[in-house]
Amino acid sequence: MMIDLDVTINGVHRHITTDPRLTLLEVLREQVLLTGTKEGCGVGECGTCVVLADGKPVTSCLILAGDADGVTIETVEGLATDGVLTEMQQAFVKTGAFQCGFCTPAMVLTATAIFRENDNPDIEDVKKALGGILCRCGAYPKILEAVIEVKGEGT
Amino acid sequence: MTTYVGARVPRVDSVEKVTGGAVYGVDVAMPGMLHGAVLRSPYPHARIVSIDTSAALAAPGVEIVVTGRDFPLLFGAAIKDQPFLAIDRVRYVGEPVVAVAAASEAQAQEALDLIRVDYEELPAVVDMRSALDPDAPLVHPDLHTYKRGPNDIVPHTNINTLYTYERGDVEAGFAAADVVVEGEYSAHAISHVALEVHAAIAQYDSGSGGYTLWVSTDRPFLLRNELAAGLGVDSSRVRLIVAQVGGSFGAKGVPVAEAIAVALARHSGGRPVKVEFTREEDLVASQLRVPAIMKLKTGVNRNGLMVARSAEVLWDSGAYTAYTVGVAIRGSQTIIGPYRIPDLKILSRQVYTNKSITGSYRGYGTTQVTWACETQMDEIAVELGIDPVEIRLMNGYEEGDAYLNGQIMRSVGLRETIERSAVEIGWGSVEREPAPNLRRGKGIATMIKPTMTPSSSNVVINLEQDGRVTVICAAPEIGSGQDTVLAQIAADAIGVPLSDVSVPATDTLLTPYNGPVASSRTTYHMGNAILDAGGEIREQVLSLAGEVLEVEPETLEMRDGIICDLDGELQITLKDLLAKFYGEYYSITAGARFSSANSPLLKADPGEEWMSSIFWMLCTQAAEIEVDTDTGVIRVLKVAAAADVGKAINPMTVEQQIEGGVVMGLSNGILEGFSYDNGRIENGNLADYKVATIMDIPPIVPIIVESVHDEAPYGAKGVGEPAAAATPPAIANALYDAIGVRIRDLPITPEKILKAMGELEAD
Amino acid sequence: MKRLREFEYYEPTSLEEASRMLAEAEPDARVLAGGTDLVVDMKTGRMRPSTVVNLKRIPDLTGIEDADGGTRIGALTKVDVVEVSPLVVERHPALAQAASILASPPVRALATIGGNVGRASPASDLGPALIVSDAVATIHGVDGPRDELVEDLYTGPGATSLARSDIITALTLPARRPGFGSAHVKLGKRGSGTDIALAGASASLVIGDGGEIIDCRIALASLGPIPFRAVGSESVLRSEILTEALLEAAAEAAAGDAKPIGDMRASSAYRTRLARVLTLRALHGAVESAGAGVAA
Repeated sequence: MMIDLDVTINGVHRHITTDPRLTLLEVLREQVLLTGTKEGCGVGECGTCVVLADGKPVTSCLILAGDADGVTIETVEGLATDGVLTEMQQAFVKTGAFQCGFCTPAMVLTATAIFRENDNPDIEDVKKALGGILCRCGAYPKILEAVIEVKGEGT
Repeated sequence: MTTYVGARVPRVDSVEKVTGGAVYGVDVAMPGMLHGAVLRSPYPHARIVSIDTSAALAAPGVEIVVTGRDFPLLFGAAIKDQPFLAIDRVRYVGEPVVAVAAASEAQAQEALDLIRVDYEELPAVVDMRSALDPDAPLVHPDLHTYKRGPNDIVPHTNINTLYTYERGDVEAGFAAADVVVEGEYSAHAISHVALEVHAAIAQYDSGSGGYTLWVSTDRPFLLRNELAAGLGVDSSRVRLIVAQVGGSFGAKGVPVAEAIAVALARHSGGRPVKVEFTREEDLVASQLRVPAIMKLKTGVNRNGLMVARSAEVLWDSGAYTAYTVGVAIRGSQTIIGPYRIPDLKILSRQVYTNKSITGSYRGYGTTQVTWACETQMDEIAVELGIDPVEIRLMNGYEEGDAYLNGQIMRSVGLRETIERSAVEIGWGSVEREPAPNLRRGKGIATMIKPTMTPSSSNVVINLEQDGRVTVICAAPEIGSGQDTVLAQIAADAIGVPLSDVSVPATDTLLTPYNGPVASSRTTYHMGNAILDAGGEIREQVLSLAGEVLEVEPETLEMRDGIICDLDGELQITLKDLLAKFYGEYYSITAGARFSSANSPLLKADPGEEWMSSIFWMLCTQAAEIEVDTDTGVIRVLKVAAAADVGKAINPMTVEQQIEGGVVMGLSNGILEGFSYDNGRIENGNLADYKVATIMDIPPIVPIIVESVHDEAPYGAKGVGEPAAAATPPAIANALYDAIGVRIRDLPITPEKILKAMGELEAD
Repeated sequence: MKRLREFEYYEPTSLEEASRMLAEAEPDARVLAGGTDLVVDMKTGRMRPSTVVNLKRIPDLTGIEDADGGTRIGALTKVDVVEVSPLVVERHPALAQAASILASPPVRALATIGGNVGRASPASDLGPALIVSDAVATIHGVDGPRDELVEDLYTGPGATSLARSDIITALTLPARRPGFGSAHVKLGKRGSGTDIALAGASASLVIGDGGEIIDCRIALASLGPIPFRAVGSESVLRSEILTEALLEAAAEAAAGDAKPIGDMRASSAYRTRLARVLTLRALHGAVESAGAGVAA
């Protein structure tokens, strides 16, 4: 039994025929071939599968394919345009807010979503919003520096 | 004079990491690829009576089913004791028994349900103390017949590593000491939890009898050699192409997914086979940190100087030795800490148990022994009424001191790491009781680590006609930024812009030999090789320029691709020079091998040179914590972490390692741990095995200490491992400062704290 | 990673259609709300439904609105919406607080309040908060809609009294009485709180002008097989004058009401202690939320 999905991914409308037993994460990585979004645990505990669904960060490993029908999805690949990095991406580069980079797509995407809501968020709120994404390399301090950089406060 | 070395340049892998463009081992896919899945042992110890795979072979999409009988080969870094797939018995819960490859991962996983394995359970030994009992079941009764390196074993027991060391006379030392402090400490099994799980693709070519693998590893050549040895083929018959690595921390050197992929690929008729572990498999069936029980006894005089120390360490390798033998030997030495103690005795034993395999974990044994050493150091301080900072300064190594084996220690920034971290944490003043149920305290801990010595690195550097430089070396980027550091060294060694330097991915067919990206060795060893080869390229270029400009090459300099005379006047650019001189496409190539063997710095007492280290890493951390006496929960308020790195080639990447090490150390020490039920891990999933999030970490102040090392590239040593070791004892020492509770067994948990306070009955 | 097994997937457009599908699917069927529990259970193998019925196309199952002074929350309302809803924050702080520490933000953006109730985990974060708010679940079944106290739904770990074809459509929290305050407190393995609860406590109080406790509810999570009311603790409080000593006695009684197991996450002794500590903290929070003061 296959199902049909109408989704918008990174601004592009797509019609995807897929197996309903796949998760949105699996569809993105294996069918749409956007491998920037990662699978670190499959059960919503690590956050590396975070994408933006209708603007909100969500753990895509827990979304059944059928549930993604009609949703507007943004992945990390949709941020930079023509190779030009966004302000948040540039801040991550400048402060060194990544080490192995595996959690970086989720972190950058979530940080981007936070700033779309509020261009001067409270740092404690930023920490809470990023609290669902694990970074085993421990890049957290520099991730916060990148956010502060974009906030414009500096040290 | 350098342009890039010492500068805070952005990482060279920045763009691919922030755009999702980086391709990790788990992301690689090949046309025609099959997917693997593994049926694993549910028992800690059992004989395999029979396996019926017929239903699985007939299942939709299934192409291959392989058992240990089909592939009865063994591998092992120090002792060849580990089968690719269990052959006649299983020795831990989670051991791979049957591997399946199918057209889709789902089909492979579903086929596992159709496999029937009959086991006959055997008595299991599930804790390391019991493993020493004379009547304990033997995990490897034939240990004495196994191919192994030079380490000592005790035949017909579970002891797979035996190491002893003595210097002076400890008994006399204890007798003469004013005070003797004794304790037993333990460090627990923890997982690396690299966010990228173990994954590998293998392809077999029956024509050549060779294998190609696409992997994510920190030690391509060691892994390649171990696989080749296991397969019984020449090492160059196995080719490893290395993707970006999503974290290793010591996890990705043992053949884990690779072993399964190879076993399946052998029978797949040439189709590539991908094996990607689930997170649950990664947690229980890859490798964990080696647990240790450490008895430590120190004789000390009233003035604070330590005079004798004896250590008895028991390590638990789990069912197979993998990388644990080196941990049990090298790790045991550093239980002495960075301290001058004349009389020493170390007994280290490691046992097999019927539990998950353990192995190298950021520090190679130092996180465990530092826990014991630094906890006891504070107990000594309390006993003598001496300040914990003072007692460490008093006993700590200084430049020119002799190490245990007589090696003269150079580049010893220990004092500065202690002093600066103490100042940063505000040592000596604490707001003790900010609320009725909250208590605060400060603690300090230090550590020492050697790097694997000797080791070597090879590099080949190409300078292309357009001025671009390729540094061809097997140094996979595991996240520590070392490819950036190596590029910085290359740029300055040659004299070209950093943006013209690239460090391509590792392919063991093409990149020359390198030791592992481990033991914090890469900057030093590969950096020196690059300095050498880069210098040669620079010489060739200046010689060419001398010819073209008709001057002596000694009167020329090159920086950032600009060749100037000694007054800095531009003479010609590198690109123009190359374009002018070579009518056709041409490149300049230089290769170099750097080895730390035979360095005069390693000189030591006869027969003991093997204990020397080409450089020593020293790191001290001071922590302030707050404990909630109602719940027992610790909140770490701040950590000041100082590391002596020799020279910071890139201060930003050094900070990344220090901060990252503290986060990992904090998480290891107070949040992580496995719960075992008769050898079976009960919490082998991320819902119940917790690692630190951004909400769990305090402000961390990384402090870079520099010291002079005459043979290091631009003076740089290493920094990747040390910072994870000192955090748990710093926290535990701060806890003692806060409420007088001493925890000796990791992890530090709220329940242990409340029990030690007398506020909680045992269950 | 773990792959899901095959299943039939449906998106009915009405409650009747959904109920029928749930009743008729063989061998079994599960409702898909947010997926944060169901998909995890399907991956771990705890559940292998042959049929999954996604409720998202059924109208009127989301949204938070006033209902005669009470608050009606559609069962499919996302937990992160409940967390910040002005109505919930203002009227039912225990629920807003419980919502704010459920799992992590990207999971809360998918999880639904109805799904959490239906999953009936003994560690449920929302369960105790709903119980102390006297929440009522509106359930659509084969015989039509009915209302039940959330408190009465839980029958055992992971089990409710719901029939196979029952669908929770809304949670309604009745209008608060004057002097009402509530709070929820949880302790997870990480101090930061976004974990499975080792223990959790919700409290609500109705405090009269003279400081007397007119009514109270205390509900506990991870301290018994289901989220439950600590009636022993409540009886210490009811009709008494609010004092710190009284709150401490109530917290002590809550430790007696708790029947925690010891498991790999925590020992029963520790959970019993947490019952006392967290109940006291929840009570303090409820007092503060009611705008009252506590005599020493």
